[in-house]
Amino acid sequence: MKTLNLIALAAVLACGSALASQEHVVAQKDKSFSTKKLDIKVGDKVAFRNDDGFSHNIFSLTDAMPFDLGTYGSGQLKTVTFSKAGKFEIECAIHPDMRMVVNVAP
Amino acid sequence: MIKLHLPSRASLWCAVALSATVLGFGTATVWAEPDKTQTQTQVHGANGALLPRDSKDAAVFRGGLVYANYCVTCHGINADGNGRAARLHTPRPANLRASDKNDAYIGLIVRKGGEPLGRSTGMPPWAEELTDEQIGDVVAFVRSVNAQSHSR
Repeated sequence: MKTLNLIALAAVLACGSALASQEHVVAQKDKSFSTKKLDIKVGDKVAFRNDDGFSHNIFSLTDAMPFDLGTYGSGQLKTVTFSKAGKFEIECAIHPDMRMVVNVAP
Repeated sequence: MIKLHLPSRASLWCAVALSATVLGFGTATVWAEPDKTQTQTQVHGANGALLPRDSKDAAVFRGGLVYANYCVTCHGINADGNGRAARLHTPRPANLRASDKNDAYIGLIVRKGGEPLGRSTGMPPWAEELTDEQIGDVVAFVRSVNAQSHSR
């Protein structure tokens, strides 16, 4: 009985977590992000998908959670889980005019 | 007339300032006169004469523009590997002032990126983004700021 309760609790927590976090997709096309601003919540994932015919290198220097996805080619995507709240300025190391902001709410 | 791909006026003047600073390290002083379209730049020598397109000084100047637009984020305004994104990378971006690599090798790293050469994966391959002339120019610029080149 105790084991069943634990399993049920774990299932509820897992479902709650799945419902709470969302996955967003931001495409990179024609050396631009598909959106200039994205509002998400802590725990959400953002997949940065390369729809261009050449490489991109997405990174952020935001102190709360700096990251660098490295260089990746056409058709590939890389996902970031935003585990901290804040305003994240997202850039491409190869194309300096590519910029967007991800606002992560607590 | 020298044709350059310049994304913005800010980038241009940042690069002009950078080149002027760095070229103080070298042998010549040049200045640029952007035309109304902001897509072409005439490069003049210290005496005001237009520099030949294929001259070393013109290549260094153009390379400074390329560097300021594409390389400065990681390698830094002083080309010492301390750009604002340097902290994201292990190993850190190369200190180009202290590099002991020759022009061909530097050109290869710029063209192919670090990974195929067994170096940092943080260095992207630039062959898709830069023309052969731009790669040659940025190599000339790196050579111009390299301390070992000046000690020879």
